[in-house]
Amino acid sequence: MSSKDSHLSDQELLLAADGELPPARAQQVASHLTKCWTCRVRKSELEASIGDFVRTYRGNLDPLLPSPAGPRALLKAQLAEMTAERAAAPPNWRTKWLQGPTPRYAGAALFLAVLALLIYLRPAFESRRAFHVVPVSFPEPSLTPGLAAGVNREQICQAVPPKNRIVPASLQRRVFEEYGISGAEPRAYEVDYLITPALGGSDDIRNLWPQSYSPAVWNARVKDALEDRLHDLVCDGRLDLATAQRDISSDWIAAYKKYFETDRPLQ
Amino acid sequence: MFKDKTIPDLPAISVSSTEEAKPTPLEEEVVALFDQLQERLLRYLLSSGVPVQDGEEIVQEVFLALFQHLQRGKSRRNLRAWVFQVAHNLSVKRYVANLRDRKHMVEPGAAPDEDSFVDHNPNPEDQLMRNQSHARLQSVLRALPEQDRRCLSLRAEGLTYREIGQILDMSLGAVALSLGRSLARFTRAEER
Repeated sequence: MSSKDSHLSDQELLLAADGELPPARAQQVASHLTKCWTCRVRKSELEASIGDFVRTYRGNLDPLLPSPAGPRALLKAQLAEMTAERAAAPPNWRTKWLQGPTPRYAGAALFLAVLALLIYLRPAFESRRAFHVVPVSFPEPSLTPGLAAGVNREQICQAVPPKNRIVPASLQRRVFEEYGISGAEPRAYEVDYLITPALGGSDDIRNLWPQSYSPAVWNARVKDALEDRLHDLVCDGRLDLATAQRDISSDWIAAYKKYFETDRPLQ
Repeated sequence: MFKDKTIPDLPAISVSSTEEAKPTPLEEEVVALFDQLQERLLRYLLSSGVPVQDGEEIVQEVFLALFQHLQRGKSRRNLRAWVFQVAHNLSVKRYVANLRDRKHMVEPGAAPDEDSFVDHNPNPEDQLMRNQSHARLQSVLRALPEQDRRCLSLRAEGLTYREIGQILDMSLGAVALSLGRSLARFTRAEER
């Protein structure tokens, strides 16, 4: 608006109507509009165009909008699942660090410091590493209740009893995730069947758990002995298959004590 | 170590019940934003030629991304613009992915699908009354460049020039020019 006679552009009229002008300029525009009929008419034409567009836009699209109830419920369920997954996963400190205010220099300095410390403390670290792995002697009942495949006594007592099948890597990963085992830790565990296939155990994740290689008293070798014992008892007709499955899945250590009549593993 | 528990007869072992946990404050915040923005977001997507089903999927994806964004403690500045920007980017990404299957998306810059800019009003009298000016508006809308149409749609959804500029990666001046240009076309169409 360089002179009193010049009119406002469409763009400026629109900016003014949308409240997008700086206050001082907005005041000048308002003042011009009170005096200039031409600009007032143009402004109302623009407003009318806005009205036409909004009516067309809404009139065309609103009938196409589906109810939000389904997507809303789905979103709530997915958010709950993501919260649960995050709670189960250990915090990722490295990512946190990289998101900090001065990540580059702080990260580099920290890396060098940790490297130096590792080189210095390597012998001690090596000897203590075993203690970082939590010995798992028994599964978490809520995660691994045990599941039978629905086979009968005759099938498991055939000449060559069913062997433990190799658990696929993807399923192993899911088991580790369930138990919150991450990073390099999985190497310290073996994904094992709670009810062994030789006793009719299933390949389902509910029948799989991470058993640590660390030398706990109640280790995999002890459980293997129980599995053999129960298999023999079932196939000799001295034990019901369902009872064997129930005993090994509810508390395999108690089952060992019961069927070997001992309080400690027989070596 | 072990809790005493009895397991029902195998193989019918019960799976631990998945009771619905109470939503966390963050979950509630995201659902509240969904309630506030999903309709506007979906309408914007439909206006740019995204089919309804794809639009619903994009909206869902946007709010899951928002949840992760907030979970990581990232910026809460202008979440409304953030949500529209992510939706816009996802729709463009999806378009690129579906380039070979042209049935699913409308080519940017081309006229939108019949679905998005055809009058779906079922009332024939109303239709007749508005027929002439409506037809003119439709033809103007169809003739608009993609970017101008997106600007208009976003403004119609209540976004500020600054937000529109952020979403479409345009300067404030370019947004103002685009809106002014489009509305001037409408006005000229009415004058004819």
